[in-house]
Amino acid sequence: MFIRLIIILIFLIPLAFYSCNNSKNSNTDINDDNDSTLNVGYQDHVQKVKKIFYNIPSPIEMASLMQRAGAEYDPSILNRIESFEKYNTNSKMALNLGVYGANLSYTRMFDQIQESVNYLSVIRKLSEGLGIPQQPGTFAVSRIEQNIENRDSLLYIITDIYASADTYLKESNRGSTAALIILGGWVEALYIATSIIDYNDPSKEIMERIAEQKYSLTNLIELLKGYDNDEIIALYMPLLEKLNTTFDKIEIITTKAEIITDSVKKVTSISNQNKINVAIENIKELKTIVTELRKELIK
Amino acid sequence: MKGLVKILFVTALLASFPILGFSQCKGFTKKTCLPILEPYLYNGQLNSAVLSEGDVAELLLTFYGGQEYRVLVCSQDLIGKVEFKLLDTDRNEIFYNKEHDYTTNWDFNANSTQQLIIQVLVPQGETKTDIANSGCVSIVVGFKEKYD
Repeated sequence: MFIRLIIILIFLIPLAFYSCNNSKNSNTDINDDNDSTLNVGYQDHVQKVKKIFYNIPSPIEMASLMQRAGAEYDPSILNRIESFEKYNTNSKMALNLGVYGANLSYTRMFDQIQESVNYLSVIRKLSEGLGIPQQPGTFAVSRIEQNIENRDSLLYIITDIYASADTYLKESNRGSTAALIILGGWVEALYIATSIIDYNDPSKEIMERIAEQKYSLTNLIELLKGYDNDEIIALYMPLLEKLNTTFDKIEIITTKAEIITDSVKKVTSISNQNKINVAIENIKELKTIVTELRKELIK
Repeated sequence: MKGLVKILFVTALLASFPILGFSQCKGFTKKTCLPILEPYLYNGQLNSAVLSEGDVAELLLTFYGGQEYRVLVCSQDLIGKVEFKLLDTDRNEIFYNKEHDYTTNWDFNANSTQQLIIQVLVPQGETKTDIANSGCVSIVVGFKEKYD
């Protein structure tokens, strides 16, 4: 009987630890959300909401917006491929997997084929370093070679890699590592955007695209708060908060307009208009902070 | 002693619920949901949880102006038809799938960039049972890149 009891205890103890660990790793526990900066009125229905997720637009979206806004390609601002060798901790690998993902999105958007292949190669190495299993064929040279000229196919390859990493890490109870990849990608995308703008003759559209990142930053901070016990994430929070304070100086006024739903096409169009009050000084200030943050991520 | 073993067994069973829930969602999004998202590109972020009748989950995200988005709420059959709404940050309703035969996916586009909330609700079953049905629910978002 005593042996049976020991066996049961051996079974029970790891489960108890798992349960504690799992609850900490949920994106955001609703009880921790009272100090939310989102001001979206959660208090009213706080009891009902079991889970809140925060999503950050992917670096692909940001690169696409920049390209459409008339930005130009400047390879000198990207993280050097050779730097990957110095990323030998889990957190550095995760952060720079995100950074290189943003670099790849940028090179791909501007049809820089060789550079894209080079970035894919370091991304594969970092994914392996993090123990993320590769789907058969994802990084196959043949698949990349066949598709490299095709912008859309390359886009699917990039999406595949990052979606698989996020899914694998979250399902393996490594949500904080997934969050670090997102953090690295977002910071690098903002760094690129604030670096390619012409400060002597700034494009209004690029400035506005940068200003709109204030929404994504709000979501990113909320996402990271779900891992506030992670010492690496805690390390970067003060700079993210500083960035947030600078974004607060930028005003976005939304005028609500008609919402049209087409039941046949299954599409809803929201015609709101934004008036964005952003000055080049705001962008310069953002650049100073994001450069400091990015320096920490890639060193 | 027998009583103690019984208590420990029940405790072990209860402690294993998070694992069972976790397993319930493992692989679900990839196998069941992502194929429906095409031709939209998955934003790459997994949002799945085990929900029971009456539970609400929310996803906050940014919709960029000029981009097109597909929202897909996919769930295991055992929890029945799942409701979802798209709300603005003042919690005004923009879309409610109940008014569209509980469709699981809908496309959205916006003129200007904005924060939106996808709210998912698992309705209470018609017949009350002691144990509420629970199942995996995933909120999946895809976007479509526009070339000028």
